[in-house]
Amino acid sequence: MEALLQAVLSGLAIGGIYALVALGFNITYNTTKTLNFGQGEFLVAGAFIAVATVLLLSGKGYRGVLQPEDVTVFRYLVGFVAAVVVLGALGVLLYYTAVRPFVGAVGLAWVMSTIGFGIIVQATALGVWGPAPLAMPSPLGNDVIRFGSAGILPQEILIFVVAVVVMVALDFTLRRTKIGKAVRAVAHNKGAAALMGINVPMIVILAFVVSSCLAGLGGLLVAPITTASVFMGLVLALKAFSAAIIGGLDNPRGCILGGFLLGLIESLIGLWHAELREISIFVLIIVVLVFKPEGLLGRRIVEKV
Amino acid sequence: MFRQPHTYALPAAVVLLVAATFFIGNDFYLKVMFMTGVFYIAAAGFNVLVGYAGQKSLGHAGLYAAGAYTAALLTAKLGWNPWIAFVAAGAVAGLCGIVIALPSLRVRGPSLAMVTIGFGIVVEKIVTEWSDVFAGQAGIHGVAPLSLGAAPFGMREWVLFVVALGLATHLLMRSLLHGKYGRAFLAVHTAEVAAESVGVSVYRFKVLAFIVSAVFCGFAGALVAQQNQYINSDFINFGLSIFFLLLVLFGGGGSIYGPLLGAIVLTLVDAFLARWPGLQHFVYGALLLFALYVMPDGLAGAVRAAGRKLFPKLHEKEPIPTAVAEWQLQRSEQLPKEAPLLEAKGLYKAYGGVVPTNDVSIAVKTGHVHSLIGPNGAGKTTLLNILSGIVPPDRGSTAFNGVDITELKANEICALGIGRTFQNLKLFTDMTVLDNVLVGLHPHLDVGFWPCMLGLPLARRQEREARAEALRILAFLGLLDKANDIAGDLPYGVQRRLELARALATHPKLLLLDEPAAGLNPQETHELIGVIARIRDKGITVLLIEHHMDLVMAVSDHVFVLDYGAKIAEGTPAQVQANPRVIAAYLGEETAETGVVSPLSAVA
Repeated sequence: MEALLQAVLSGLAIGGIYALVALGFNITYNTTKTLNFGQGEFLVAGAFIAVATVLLLSGKGYRGVLQPEDVTVFRYLVGFVAAVVVLGALGVLLYYTAVRPFVGAVGLAWVMSTIGFGIIVQATALGVWGPAPLAMPSPLGNDVIRFGSAGILPQEILIFVVAVVVMVALDFTLRRTKIGKAVRAVAHNKGAAALMGINVPMIVILAFVVSSCLAGLGGLLVAPITTASVFMGLVLALKAFSAAIIGGLDNPRGCILGGFLLGLIESLIGLWHAELREISIFVLIIVVLVFKPEGLLGRRIVEKV
Repeated sequence: MFRQPHTYALPAAVVLLVAATFFIGNDFYLKVMFMTGVFYIAAAGFNVLVGYAGQKSLGHAGLYAAGAYTAALLTAKLGWNPWIAFVAAGAVAGLCGIVIALPSLRVRGPSLAMVTIGFGIVVEKIVTEWSDVFAGQAGIHGVAPLSLGAAPFGMREWVLFVVALGLATHLLMRSLLHGKYGRAFLAVHTAEVAAESVGVSVYRFKVLAFIVSAVFCGFAGALVAQQNQYINSDFINFGLSIFFLLLVLFGGGGSIYGPLLGAIVLTLVDAFLARWPGLQHFVYGALLLFALYVMPDGLAGAVRAAGRKLFPKLHEKEPIPTAVAEWQLQRSEQLPKEAPLLEAKGLYKAYGGVVPTNDVSIAVKTGHVHSLIGPNGAGKTTLLNILSGIVPPDRGSTAFNGVDITELKANEICALGIGRTFQNLKLFTDMTVLDNVLVGLHPHLDVGFWPCMLGLPLARRQEREARAEALRILAFLGLLDKANDIAGDLPYGVQRRLELARALATHPKLLLLDEPAAGLNPQETHELIGVIARIRDKGITVLLIEHHMDLVMAVSDHVFVLDYGAKIAEGTPAQVQANPRVIAAYLGEETAETGVVSPLSAVA
């Protein structure tokens, strides 16, 4: 029983990461019908920028080794700001080099170009920090908080809380504010939005900035749990992508649902057979898509003949 | 001779490669040649899926693994003959191709990418985690190499073998893709609905493309496992799937030579940069990022464009004859006049609360022109979609020429003899005018997969006959001089006429035309009246939707009127014109409350 509760708690935490990154996929997909297939590397970049910032603040040089006492809440926050700023800039760069040339073109050229951009980001990180993972102690310490017999790390609670806050804020912005309305208008029909005086290119760039920042935030949050590794991005991003597809890539709430669902399922299957976790998840995704190709909350597109 | 460079370039290239293997003593260079061949074989098959059928897969490492592990397990664990194991590797990979194709058919775009990624990862995890069978990272040792007699292949034999296999692959792909299969794959790629409407089964061709790509990918995997005499789970990863896609897209998808160029350049880059892994990553990233921007059609596209400028003679298309015989349907395809051809009973279709087709029954008689009219939103196109099998009805039945077609798919209905055009044009825009019509002839080319793939004389003869007939159809509609033009570049009115030509090529007994005059100028509309009459005189029954009443009244023998999804009237043009319900539907009705006559009806 406590094992079950334990699995649910950690599933919600990792699900929060998937949901954040999935939401990033949704925002760019809705506005441009493209998404960043190199998002995993952006996650890595977020984590490494944060680690490097904290290292610099503790006077250890950007390639040192962090001890738990080096990571204060203040330094972690500065790391967060640095990661968001750098990732936002990367998002703009990504849009101009990898996405804009191919938006609206037939085929999936943008899949290749965004993967290429990600590989360059990864190669850069590899060149600067090398292949060994960097430790990133949690600013909240490592004392397990007990719920009955189940325990949870403070960082896991942080992930869950941050994820929920960010999602609620984004959901509110999209549904209740002027800029959110502009984003939804662009998602619906770019031409009509432009005719109504909405600055479409601005909204699209904003979408990529937000999407990249969400990935960076995901990296920053997950680093204390998995350690920051140059190679951690691919699997995380693929799972976040699965979450988005399962929930419905065109529906932000669907992406969030998909993220938490995937985290929970993964964690629960892990209880039963840890090595079958990934196999069962991806088999499950294929099965879900066969019966509901548009995802759980997605809109079915009827082709007009 | 000059127009067929491959007749001398190909043997020359093969002689050169074979000679090279005897001059190169260095095993490293031989290995590079070997890997180029392996990647070419995988990419050539993958090109059918990606470049022709237009289905992007990000999971082909899984199929490569299927081939590699089949060869490894069969020889190392079960002691099979390496040659039999090699063939089995292709077969097993082909079966896995079906496994990945079936879910892939239900999804498109990013979801398709997800399904294929999922497949690749599942295979990667299986070979990593299930170590009792696949030995995970430790790997399987003692994989038996191919051998001649008792002597196992050395590096030189391996190179010679992949040269031979690569040559075979090239020739097979060439004959498969330059003919009805290549056209059908491209048709599925550009416009699925249109492909169905001319009798190409989208389902069948997508599965076929997956199988072809899987078999060749499996051979590539087996070659690597058997040459290394070892395989482990590190060979299989997401990066390899990306690399396969890059081979095709960078080389040039949809071109026979694209995969070859891609394999040569990328394998050389790989070998050259292997010493600096950091730099290698950057180069890959940059290639992915910029290659398609600089060369949208890949290397092959860039080479072709340059070649067209430098050697225009090489690119001349086969000349079009100036005069051809009159197009005729065969006598056996013509039905007795006046016989009932199509009978729809109680068709009903609802989308939520909207009912575009509400209990509609119509009967169509052989040899006549029928029109379907009604105000916008009356459900005319939906009815046509139901009759042609694109939309299944919720209730009701349709019988065509004595066969119940209610449950049939669009391509099956086309094969029975119902052709159609679309209100919003659905041409195969990247193909030539001639090829568009040839796709229309698809259901009448009965030569099978193997004769086409092997380029047998039977297949070539049928291809020549089809070309001749396509030219006759183009001449019938006055499009002969445009035969070599790209369909998408034509003016709108000509595109409409081409769609008509494509529909005629399916040898329809009943031709459904959805607003054939939409967007035409008065001159073209006037010509269309004559064209429709000539089509009828060929013995083809016509059912058309149209808003141009001059045209409807001029060509129709019988008119059906729909309003709000229901049939409100039918009869001769004169009867329909006089029908008060029809007038009301078009012009509004005098209402009891206001007693005001609409100004429109006063004009009428």
